[in-house]
Amino acid sequence: MRRSVNRALLAALAAALEACSGGGAEEGPPAARSPATVRAARRAFDGAPPVIPHAPFGMACSSCHGASGVQVEGVGYAPPSPHEATAGLGASARCLQCHVFRETAAVFVASAFEGLRQDLRRGRRLNPLAPPVIPHQTLLRENCAACHTGPAAREEIRCTHPERVRCTQCHVAVQASEEFLR
Amino acid sequence: MNRRTFLRAAGALAGIAAFSCEDRREARRIEGALGGLSHVDLKWGKAPCRYCGTGCGVEVGVHGGKVVAVRGDAASPVNRGLLCVKGYHLPAMLYGKDRLLHPMRRNPDGKGFARISWDEALDLIAARFGETLKAHGPEAVAIYGSGQWTVFDGYAALKWFKGGLRSNQIEANARLCMASAVMGFMTQFQSDEPMGCYEDLEAGDDFVLWGNNMAEMHPVLFSRILERKRTSPGSRIVDIATRHTPTSDHADLYVEIRPGTDLALANGILHLLVSEGRVDEGFVKENVVFRRGIEDLERIGYGAAGAQAERYAFQDAARDSSLDDLKAFLADYAPARASAITGVPEAQIRALADLYGDPKRGTVSLWCMGVNQHVRGTWMNNLITDLHLLTGKISRPGNNPFSLTGQPSACGTVREVGTLANRLPADGVVTSKEHRSKVEAVWGLPEGTIPEKPGHHTVDMFRALARGEIRAMWIQVTNPMVSLPNLSRFERKPGDGRFIVVSDIYPTPTTDIADVILPSAAWVEREGVFGNTERRTQQWDKLVEPPGEAREDALQIIQVAKRMGLGHLFPWPEDAFHEPLFEEYRKLTLGTGKDLASYEDLRRTRGMLWPVVDGKETRYRYAAGHDPYVKKPKGVHFYKAKGYGEKAAVWLRPYHPPAESPDAEYPFWLSTGRVLEHWHTGSMTRRVKELHQAVPAAYVEVNRADALELGIRTGDLVRVETRRGSLELRAQVDGRGKTPKGSLFVAFFDEKRLVNRLTLDAMDSISKEPDYKKCAARVRKA
Repeated sequence: MRRSVNRALLAALAAALEACSGGGAEEGPPAARSPATVRAARRAFDGAPPVIPHAPFGMACSSCHGASGVQVEGVGYAPPSPHEATAGLGASARCLQCHVFRETAAVFVASAFEGLRQDLRRGRRLNPLAPPVIPHQTLLRENCAACHTGPAAREEIRCTHPERVRCTQCHVAVQASEEFLR
Repeated sequence: MNRRTFLRAAGALAGIAAFSCEDRREARRIEGALGGLSHVDLKWGKAPCRYCGTGCGVEVGVHGGKVVAVRGDAASPVNRGLLCVKGYHLPAMLYGKDRLLHPMRRNPDGKGFARISWDEALDLIAARFGETLKAHGPEAVAIYGSGQWTVFDGYAALKWFKGGLRSNQIEANARLCMASAVMGFMTQFQSDEPMGCYEDLEAGDDFVLWGNNMAEMHPVLFSRILERKRTSPGSRIVDIATRHTPTSDHADLYVEIRPGTDLALANGILHLLVSEGRVDEGFVKENVVFRRGIEDLERIGYGAAGAQAERYAFQDAARDSSLDDLKAFLADYAPARASAITGVPEAQIRALADLYGDPKRGTVSLWCMGVNQHVRGTWMNNLITDLHLLTGKISRPGNNPFSLTGQPSACGTVREVGTLANRLPADGVVTSKEHRSKVEAVWGLPEGTIPEKPGHHTVDMFRALARGEIRAMWIQVTNPMVSLPNLSRFERKPGDGRFIVVSDIYPTPTTDIADVILPSAAWVEREGVFGNTERRTQQWDKLVEPPGEAREDALQIIQVAKRMGLGHLFPWPEDAFHEPLFEEYRKLTLGTGKDLASYEDLRRTRGMLWPVVDGKETRYRYAAGHDPYVKKPKGVHFYKAKGYGEKAAVWLRPYHPPAESPDAEYPFWLSTGRVLEHWHTGSMTRRVKELHQAVPAAYVEVNRADALELGIRTGDLVRVETRRGSLELRAQVDGRGKTPKGSLFVAFFDEKRLVNRLTLDAMDSISKEPDYKKCAARVRKA
């Protein structure tokens, strides 16, 4: 039942998504946009919460971005939230606290801000058989499965062994660039 | 090639980009532009967020002399790594293309500005302030700052004005937002600021929000409450509001109340507590005294009409009262009458009394502008605290009246340093000889230097500027030409003989009226200290150079003071004044119960909660076992309230109606406030693309039934009018905020749509804080 989303609703979503992506939020024709460019266009800098790339649908965010995400035919995949409820903070309870819609493509005053971009280098491995390190920050991205498994996961970062649920047992997050020196 | 660049080059070779072909090209472009940076390549420094009074910790990522990222500071006890959308977009706030880079002076023909040197600007300011002082006396000069002043800025301004120019004409915009809370705490505890801390949000069971849209205004604190609810399902949120907001979406009990009738609601709850024997008599006997003030509406007025519209100087006078007197007083507020005044069903009033009266449940009351920007704001602060004092639910984890602040250092600078016309550091007032002498001694100035008579409070200060009594004014870190109520009163005319200096980081409607504009260094472009809502003092180091010739506000003041022959006030090297200035200020706090941490400790930690004694912070003031000044083995001790025998005062405060209510001509309520995405007057957040794009313009929220009646739909252009002005706005029906029938709401961040041309400059009788939340308006399709 949860999966059988009304077809008409899907069509409406698809139309809304298309209308929205044509609204200048992400510049350039689709063919010229790499996934990394699209990703960057939705963020002020790598680590900033992405803006919402579609118009408001008048539904709870979790309707599509729940535990497993939803495939919208012809449009794409609404990924699940990568946030786990962190100790002491109801991080996932108020999506709009951090993620905002775009009401306009205009700016108030032009900006010279240049933010940190996504580091597209692969996480380092000691040898080809060793588990790669996590090359990105993990705060509020605790649910690895949200991006690394399922239909939302791009092939290049898709996990080959999702049944092993304790990811950080083998993959560690890089915290510093310096090597240990005694 | 050092080891680090070698590693990076090796990484680039080995790390053949893992993504698609386009991504690989993109990766190469990025490598070219930013050298293949990752978060570990940035230099990260700590700072509190620049915006609201919550004081979230952020880590600031710097590369190539610019801030390129921030992340929530997981080590900060305030936010534990979480931020709101404003905080996540902090870096872009620094880099709007119209940053002010050089001092500028208005052209002789009055049109436009021309660049001048710092020396020219500082000489001119020193000369004009000096001449005005000589010709017209210390009441003719003024400095107006804000709760965004760092402690350094505020302390330099206070010392320059009160100790150097011998003028008490120093105010800050916190008068417009926190003054009622200050007077609430002062009248009840004879010491400002809350007793609790944010840990109350995990220790409490019930959270009563009085006129406070926390989900948008203090989002990270609201997240802590939501998490408390998630992990402790019995806990509840009560939202007492005049408008249904994103906060109300999460409330267990939504109490919709008529504007301004919160006084009657609080008295209605008190009535039930007292008449049903739910007062903690043991606690009251040991810790509480009773007081009444002047209650005559005619005598008090509202500061907005007649003779009061020029000068408002009402003074309350206390008289003794008692629990029996309170019982008799509350006879007027039986549930039926309280319900009739407030529009709140009796059952809800009873539910609130049950909640406050249940000794087994921890109760935290939270409030901010709804209670403070109120013609009887001090009274309303008193009544909320009365609820806690009578039930003994105070100074205990999870049981506190907790006033929230809207600016990052409203507490740390304005309230603690005392940058107000009547105040001095650490709860001092200029009217006390003892307080003046203490400050004069630390400043090394002769007795009698600081004048005894308070200066103008903010609204009267700008009225005096309009009248021409104040002739030279310096405005720093704030934007009064957007934020003052009834704005059109304060418009300048060419050749009016005033001299106005404005220090800011961007052009605003306030720099538009300046004679001299000074470019300021912002946030991590300078060293700073802020003090947040929970008494946490937080220090940060300068992390990047300011752009152009921008300088920090404290240094601007020090350099002018030196030109006026007052260099002895600031005997520190200009490139290393922060620590010695702070340590001098700290001396004024030691031994007062408001003892600040040492600069060294502040550098080392993510802030400390004062009083800090022997290097230990205090989570709960006045509480045995927590506060080092309490000598009792258990319970509470309100040791600061010497005037009440070291007890707290319960005040009897009646209901008075708002200054202006809807009538046949203006049938709607108009309230104003903020939205999540924009902070204060928007001069920073509107320059952040993501925030501006989310909420590009102010709009008016119209109730659905009213909209149907008036033929208004979302997106329609409508005209909102009050007796003071008129404004065209787009209407929004059932957006994130839903106003009750007969009620409008407009956010004040939009300088192109100034709702403060419509608001009323009525104010609280005691704190002189204006009421931005209630006036009469009408609306029609434009």
